[in-house]
Amino acid sequence: MPLFRPKIFVNGLRLGVLLLMCAILAGSLSAGQDVSAATTSPKTGLVCTSGPSFSLAAKSGYISLPDGNSSFMWSYGLVTGAAPAGAFQFPGPFLCVNQGDVVSITLKNYLAEDVSMIFPGQTNVMANGVPTAPQFDVNGQLTSLTQVSAAKTTAGPGTITYTFVADHPGTFIYESGTDTEKQVNMGLFGGLVVRPAGHPDYAYGRSDSQFNPANEYAMIMSELDPALHQAVERNIKYDITQQHARYWMLNGRSFPDTIQDNSAPILPKQPYGSMVRLQPYSATANPNPALVRYLNVGALNHPFHPHGNHGRVIGRDGQAFAGPNGEDLSYEKFLVLVGAGQTYDVTYTWTDLDQWNPATNPIPVTLPQQQNLTYKDGVTWYSGSPYLGHQDDLPTGTTSYNQCGEYYQVWHSHALNEAANYDLGFGGMFTLERIDPPTATQTSTGHTCS
Amino acid sequence: MKKPSRFRNVSRRGFLALGGKTIAAVTGLSLLPGTSLAIEGPKTNTLAAIPKASVQPVILPTDINRRISLVGTDGWASIAGTTPIKIVGGTANVFPDPLADASIGKNVYTFGFRNTTGLDANTVAGLKGEAQISAPLLFVDEEDKVTITLGNLGLQIRPDLVDSHTIHWHGFRNAIPLFDGVPEMSIAVPVSRDFTYFYFPHDPGTYMYHCHFEDVEHIHMGMTGVIFVRPGQNKLGGTSLINTPISAIGYDLLPSGTPKASGYYPKGYAYNDNQPISVDGSPNPLSTAYDREFSLFMSEVWAAAHYNDAHIQATDWSDYKSDFWLMNGRAYPDTMLPNLDTLADYTTATPPAGINSYDAQRLQSQPISSLVTANSGDRVLLRFVSLSYQQTSMTLPGIDMTIVGKDAVYQYSDSRESIGTGHPRLNPVSTVVTSNTIYFGPGESVDAIFIAPTYDATLPNSRTDASGSYNYYLLYNRGLFQLSNGSDSGIGGQATEVRVYPSGTLLAQTAPNA
Repeated sequence: MPLFRPKIFVNGLRLGVLLLMCAILAGSLSAGQDVSAATTSPKTGLVCTSGPSFSLAAKSGYISLPDGNSSFMWSYGLVTGAAPAGAFQFPGPFLCVNQGDVVSITLKNYLAEDVSMIFPGQTNVMANGVPTAPQFDVNGQLTSLTQVSAAKTTAGPGTITYTFVADHPGTFIYESGTDTEKQVNMGLFGGLVVRPAGHPDYAYGRSDSQFNPANEYAMIMSELDPALHQAVERNIKYDITQQHARYWMLNGRSFPDTIQDNSAPILPKQPYGSMVRLQPYSATANPNPALVRYLNVGALNHPFHPHGNHGRVIGRDGQAFAGPNGEDLSYEKFLVLVGAGQTYDVTYTWTDLDQWNPATNPIPVTLPQQQNLTYKDGVTWYSGSPYLGHQDDLPTGTTSYNQCGEYYQVWHSHALNEAANYDLGFGGMFTLERIDPPTATQTSTGHTCS
Repeated sequence: MKKPSRFRNVSRRGFLALGGKTIAAVTGLSLLPGTSLAIEGPKTNTLAAIPKASVQPVILPTDINRRISLVGTDGWASIAGTTPIKIVGGTANVFPDPLADASIGKNVYTFGFRNTTGLDANTVAGLKGEAQISAPLLFVDEEDKVTITLGNLGLQIRPDLVDSHTIHWHGFRNAIPLFDGVPEMSIAVPVSRDFTYFYFPHDPGTYMYHCHFEDVEHIHMGMTGVIFVRPGQNKLGGTSLINTPISAIGYDLLPSGTPKASGYYPKGYAYNDNQPISVDGSPNPLSTAYDREFSLFMSEVWAAAHYNDAHIQATDWSDYKSDFWLMNGRAYPDTMLPNLDTLADYTTATPPAGINSYDAQRLQSQPISSLVTANSGDRVLLRFVSLSYQQTSMTLPGIDMTIVGKDAVYQYSDSRESIGTGHPRLNPVSTVVTSNTIYFGPGESVDAIFIAPTYDATLPNSRTDASGSYNYYLLYNRGLFQLSNGSDSGIGGQATEVRVYPSGTLLAQTAPNA
């Protein structure tokens, strides 16, 4: 079945992608970066908000979805000098701290009901100076997993301060502990990264967890049921047993939005991209792997499959895979089944093992066989050449997003009903890995990646 | 935004320099048991009879070890279910599909692959509308240079639909996009054309392959199957292969069709384990040696989606809800029926032992058996693979299974697997575990070995068939919703039997799943 939506819609999508690609290229060519002057985020990779003290605001707002839909959301926004009442963003900021930090998070609540934050994996969490504990009403009914930041009133927003010592490194979730089945789906979640003491380029306090800090990524997996969000927006009743996800997201975006840059202007409230970008393994030029932190804040398990190579799973839920004597118990997988509420830390490399080269080591089949091929919908990420760093002709009328002979691989949920935006395929919990040619190859071919 | 390349045509010239001779004789062929294809001849252009725009012939070099040809098309399957399924609020049956040939029990529309290796062009053209579920079981040797030529025959039932197809070798390490099969990242094969994929596998283990064109749909429709890579150690009698050239090899494995003697060689290894089969007289859990091997491939059928494709209706995949759960393309009890020859004419030909003529016709497009048979004491390798959209939990009460591999990675780690990763391992460690239930998700593979228990005629789970008496054990999905056929009462879905005969009853396996 070709596509599941009227053609004009698809063309609109494609046009959007084209315009974005132009924007990306324009951005990459000008030194000014004028459209995103407000941020200094790298184009790809984890965008850290550094601590150890943070001020957040629970707010409502709207996000956009790639099929043209939009959704009402709740989220943890960042309170800054420019936005003292908090700036809505989805998901909440990635909070980055160092092992041993006393972390303090003040949560102001601008929503009309109580909200809270819980920190799975942290111990001795305090709320306003007293130990956190589940909350019960006068009838003994559980009302919240922890102390709340009270609903906003005419007197102003509720407020609460959570504190804890980040005593072990890893990747963690933070999320609402109040009316969780509703509030978490509404968007009240984010990620927490604790770096090992003295080693910002280690995932854990062991040398075999070293990664390339230029290639650090995080992907928050979530689901979205638009019926729930409509019901909350309109303040009407919603039967949680009828929950039915229609959108599946990485870092609060669905493909193809996932591959937009961090802080892309077209997604003003969804600042985090998920494009993974790296260069091939090289013992001298690129010895350390990329690190990808998966965080599943959804209610479902997500089987996530990176094309191109296995990943090495080095830790889960803030615990390195290690034996009692420090043995390395990490393992390689071509799919990681990330359970609801789990985090995984996975390192990646891509190695040009066979060193195919058009002049000295050609791939032993006839190429390119263009007469017998199609480029789906007339657009492609392909370079026209199978060789990394090389480009070759594509048929007239085919648009290529390829810049410098780089490779693209898809990374996606292999529960393929989740690789969709509602009824539209090639979307959802899906992103790309971009493998740039080695710098020496870029120099020799003249195809420079930017 | 595209720059002119200075490398135009170099590849073609470079490869003509390899010597554009005709194809040399090819070593044995690795394909589905039950097909009548044994040796591949020089015909590789699967769609030669169909006019196409090629101006250059596909020239194949002489150093390819394995040439496989597949086509993609549509077809009909027969699922062991009887209760009709209607769309909610509708009146038409989406199952059984009214367009299906009920006279031979067909009931579900599919897309799928067919093995066309060595077939002449007219035979290939005749396979349009004859898709196989699950796809041909493929296997190659480590360090083989492999080509898979994929042709697209088009869809018999949907001439209006001109979908391309691709092959994605799921899990292939250090893949390059041209041969990764994602149509947006490189190319796809349109109707009436073909393309030759090239692979140079260095990592033994169990993988899967599927079409990635409009993947949500084409995978669910059935363009899915198993491919595995046999380790170089098979050719070296237990000596480590690492950094050993393939040239100095000699098989000393158990030949097909021979009875197993004491002090025997195994049939093969799952991985380059460099481990003895036994330690101090007990089985070594780190050994991946096996006498018999079976691939068990999990998939699902959401009847409405299949109906919609046959009847020119759209499917909202976010409504996904499967009705049937298949193992090697069949639902229990069909899973236990024997392998079939996809090219036989079972209206006249005698079907294999254990299946009648009607069932052979009904299941001919689903030719792969899931029946696991072994002699007492045999080491049996089960290759579990899923391209479902839900998790699978396979349990084998009465026999423990040792998980030696996951996702084509041997579970005993040493420095060998750090090659090229920049991540040297300091401590060899074992993550091999023994269990009787194996849980895995969509897109995962698990290699598990069990040692067949001693046959005991006094046990209540005893039966006799043409091969002799045996004990049987159920192997089934403990996700109990996946143990039914639609709304039918009783057991169905992802279940089969393990049958254990007295030692010496069965000859050595001639092919996987045989």
